[in-house]
Amino acid sequence: MHRASVWIFLAHLCTTSFALYRGENYREDLRIQPLRDGRVSTTFSFVTVLESAVPRNPNTLGQLDESQHYALFPLTLGQILREYAITELHLTLNAGKWNYDNWGHPHEAGVGTGAELWAWMSASEVTTVDERWSGLRNALSGLFCASLGSLDSRRTLSPAVAFPLSGSTPTFAPHELRHASLPSENVCTENLTPFLKLLPCKSHAGLAALLNPQKIFDADWHGMGVHVIWKEDTGIELKLTLQAVFNPVRTSTGKRRDWNLQLLFDRSIEQPCPVASSSSITVVLPDGKDHQISPENPAHVDGLVIYDLSSSSNFTIPYNIAMYWPSEYSFQYPLPPSTPATPLSVKRTIHGTTQTRGVLSVSVTNNSPQEISAGYLEMMPALLTLWMHTLKVEINSQIRSDLLSGLKYHPPSPQSNDRRSPSMLQAVLTIPPKTTLKISMEVTKAFLKYTEHPPDAMRGWDLPGAVFFPLPQLSHDTSSSYDWERIYTPTLLVDLPTPDFSMPYNVIILSCTLMTLIFGSIFNLLTRKWVVMEIQE
Amino acid sequence: MDRIRGFLRRPRGPDANIARLRRRRQVAAYIHRNLTKLTTALFIIGYAWMLLIPIPLLSQGTYIDENALQPAQVNTYWNWGDVHTADLQLYQLDGIQERNLTSEQRAEFFMTEFSKLGLAASIQNYTFSTSKGTISGNNVYAVMSSPRAAGTEAMVISASWLSRAGHGALNLRGTSTVLSLAAFLKDYSLWAKDIIFIISDDYLHGMHAWLNAYHGTVPSNLYTDPLEHTSGVIWTALNIDYSSHSFSHLGVFHEGLNGRLPNQDLINSFRLISHYTGGVPMAVYDHLEPSDSVDRLPEQSVFPPWVPVSIQQSPQLQQYGYRVRNVVRHIGYQARGMCSGVHGLMHQFRIDAITLFAVPADGPHGFHALGRIVESTLRTMNNLLERLHASFFFYILTSPGTFMKIGMFLPSAILVSVAMLFKGLGEWVTAGWVWEISEASLKSSETEKSSPAKGTWRNRRRSLLSALIVVVTTHVLGVFVFNLVCSRWFAEYPSFLAPAIFAAVSVIPPILLPLFSANAPEAAPSSMLLKSSNLCLASTVISIMSLLNFSLAAVLAIAMGVPLATSNTSSSTIISRLRYAGYCVLAWGWLVLLPGEVESAIWNWEVLGVWFAPFICIVYAPLVMQAAIVCLQG
Repeated sequence: MHRASVWIFLAHLCTTSFALYRGENYREDLRIQPLRDGRVSTTFSFVTVLESAVPRNPNTLGQLDESQHYALFPLTLGQILREYAITELHLTLNAGKWNYDNWGHPHEAGVGTGAELWAWMSASEVTTVDERWSGLRNALSGLFCASLGSLDSRRTLSPAVAFPLSGSTPTFAPHELRHASLPSENVCTENLTPFLKLLPCKSHAGLAALLNPQKIFDADWHGMGVHVIWKEDTGIELKLTLQAVFNPVRTSTGKRRDWNLQLLFDRSIEQPCPVASSSSITVVLPDGKDHQISPENPAHVDGLVIYDLSSSSNFTIPYNIAMYWPSEYSFQYPLPPSTPATPLSVKRTIHGTTQTRGVLSVSVTNNSPQEISAGYLEMMPALLTLWMHTLKVEINSQIRSDLLSGLKYHPPSPQSNDRRSPSMLQAVLTIPPKTTLKISMEVTKAFLKYTEHPPDAMRGWDLPGAVFFPLPQLSHDTSSSYDWERIYTPTLLVDLPTPDFSMPYNVIILSCTLMTLIFGSIFNLLTRKWVVMEIQE
Repeated sequence: MDRIRGFLRRPRGPDANIARLRRRRQVAAYIHRNLTKLTTALFIIGYAWMLLIPIPLLSQGTYIDENALQPAQVNTYWNWGDVHTADLQLYQLDGIQERNLTSEQRAEFFMTEFSKLGLAASIQNYTFSTSKGTISGNNVYAVMSSPRAAGTEAMVISASWLSRAGHGALNLRGTSTVLSLAAFLKDYSLWAKDIIFIISDDYLHGMHAWLNAYHGTVPSNLYTDPLEHTSGVIWTALNIDYSSHSFSHLGVFHEGLNGRLPNQDLINSFRLISHYTGGVPMAVYDHLEPSDSVDRLPEQSVFPPWVPVSIQQSPQLQQYGYRVRNVVRHIGYQARGMCSGVHGLMHQFRIDAITLFAVPADGPHGFHALGRIVESTLRTMNNLLERLHASFFFYILTSPGTFMKIGMFLPSAILVSVAMLFKGLGEWVTAGWVWEISEASLKSSETEKSSPAKGTWRNRRRSLLSALIVVVTTHVLGVFVFNLVCSRWFAEYPSFLAPAIFAAVSVIPPILLPLFSANAPEAAPSSMLLKSSNLCLASTVISIMSLLNFSLAAVLAIAMGVPLATSNTSSSTIISRLRYAGYCVLAWGWLVLLPGEVESAIWNWEVLGVWFAPFICIVYAPLVMQAAIVCLQG
């Protein structure tokens, strides 16, 4: 313990001097929000800013790069960003299904199940965007111990409207987007460890000390994100986020929704991170007055209680925050009908029981009293072929094709390496207030070569969720407010025609025998010389 | 060495070919000469094999094929506190039973119970329209989204409101088990798949409506709204049927619609779990093993009462009798395409499902054992990384611990079908030739009585057209009868229409027949050709059915094998009329003799889509009618 604090002190000394020199800045925040179904949503965000830094111009890729000296910014990630000249990068690794209806919008919008990676890069004469995209995938896959390498051309698309550049646009060359997602990626400790290594204080001090893998990975939902954004006025901003939805009702003995940091994480904050310029815990107060929070903090701003950890004056060791409902014996779940917490709720399923065809059906409900226009994006691996002529838009079984506009569809295209790129369907839906809109289209399932099946062939294939996104707001349109963010639907599992791999030899032997019999007899008939013979009895 | 080589080497030259042709001809002649012996032998072996199916020698011990299942390898957490929850639920359900609540009120109650647990619960209203009127009800279901799971796969725990025990018995304990399991299971984070809890209305049609709505395959006679909550692909399901006070054994019912069976790994793992985790022996159906049922022997014995007690109590015979009961019950369900419980509706959606039936007894087991067993079985199902897929779909469970592989029972029906095919081909060959005695030899035979008349085989024309017309007409007639039987009129006046249809289909062929019987004198008699085509067709049907539904094939082999092979014209008109009448009863007699079966088969077809009724009307009965017509054609 003593030795650790000495090291931290030394680190403090060094980093402060470097930070001043480089213009680096690190701040951390934890946002805790009790949800109406007794769960607690927590969002850690660790932001490192490289002040007045500029993304690398890809035209300089062949030349010697400027030397990289970082004090707070992680060198491993910085090298990747420079090497592949990435302007903007978003990587999320999530496990679970975000329940929009009960939990509302997440604090960080990227909650699609599995791995999702998207990057904005500018075109260059030295290397193509796709070459750098491939290098980026492999580098990140090594850095985060995730199977991002398999986000290859079978999964890569460029849906620029749904995933716009969130920072500023550099002046050099036009930019291109590459987006890919892998819904079957399992997220666990091996991804958290490299994530923690990117933090200046690792998990020794500050908020990151709370990140206990045993508790994080027991949560009902958890996900981590890496976001690199360039803003012209500040510089390159690296935002590492970790979200988790805990369920104190499940983990506590008395089925109560009371929580405190010790209970949620089984850890407490022993010391602040010395290099953090700001470090705070924000608690979003729930509706109703029957809850209590400790330590009592009078600074209520819009239902938020903010605890500042960086100023050492009021920092008590161990630091713990608790919220409890003294008048409640055990938590009573709200009974239906309950109104969903988001303006849109989306359900998506694949119907049909055969292995050759099915119907993809999406139902979108507008819960708000005003009309909503939403972008609808479907990024479908070439395993499924969507048939546009069967696309139906219905409200209460009445066809309402007028509510769908701006339909764009890119069918899967064959590529040089015998693979097929995903298909992309993008449309704008106008959903009248308080109604449910149903979109359905027929799909056919691909017949794969037997070498293309994964080892667990009988599991089926995971399909990424659809994305609903608010449309870019036009300046003259002020009547409708777009106070919602990207919505990911849950992923789907689809059965493709699958041979019985458990008995390949039987199958091969049987089919070969059949082939031999058919071929043999036909060959015999074709090549035989026919003569008339007299046989004496 | 050279001699051996010379012996092995085929002789070359034209002689070799002639020798080969001669050899082939000899073999064909030998088979044709001994055709009757051969087919009789095949029939006898086939039928004897069917009788031997229940002997223990042909069965083998069950084993777990899928390594991921790891049955009975977990600690269970279900304890007496959860039993108390189940008891409280049962107390409330008893109140519901006493107050005689309607289906809607019941559904409301269940939905509130699920919602109190924080699960996404909803009610599904549905209405089936059938020829006998409409059937409607309300299902309640709740989806538990498992922590960290993407919700792409799901398991189902269900209970129907009515128990399979019959006589209006309510599945109150099964339902309260589902409710208390919902409260218990949601407190654990180890589930990798979503769990769906369903309390379906009535016995079968509630679950059928739910499954169709879930998979978006709503048939035209079902009216239901899309489900409010959905989850992923359902892989496995358990249906709990517990109506009595307590139970001694857990019976497994596994047959599904149209003869589908669940993967046997599910049953095998359940057996191990039930034995090692719950200490409850598993039973096949509600049949207790002879060693378990000493005190219940008289009512469960398969032997008639006049058999001496010493024979009845021989352990080998008792074992055989026990297995006979299992096999016969299995064939009874599978051949009729009926499901043996609510689980059977799921197999058509590739869900491996079984019903756990608590065999009524005075003790010793109750909620505690059942809860632990279901929990452990769910853990086993939760281990699955893929669907259950090892080729474990064709089997006969002869006892809880033993089963028959497909190779041990399939040949019996195939042998009968081969015998029929040989018989039909033999008939075809016979029809093509006529033995013509020359006049010279006739004279000589008159003078020399001892020597047989000499003659020559003459080829004759085989005109298939009339036989083909009869075949097509009978099957078209079958389609008409099927539509009539499924009509509203039949549902209203079955006691009048059934004998009328039977009379009509029996009388029409003799009236129509003279129109086609213009038989050219030198051509083969149409009765032979009809018999030949009939036997070949029936044999094909049996061998195809044996792969899809062995029990149906076996029943067809018994019902059609010998009768179709022995259909013959007789010189006496009375005998041929009597034979005709016999075949008519075999083909259509069920209309009059088995009204209950007819009604259930129609209901199964209209509501559940079981192919048995159309198959009998359109395939089986016309085939037997063709044999009947063979008897009429002189």
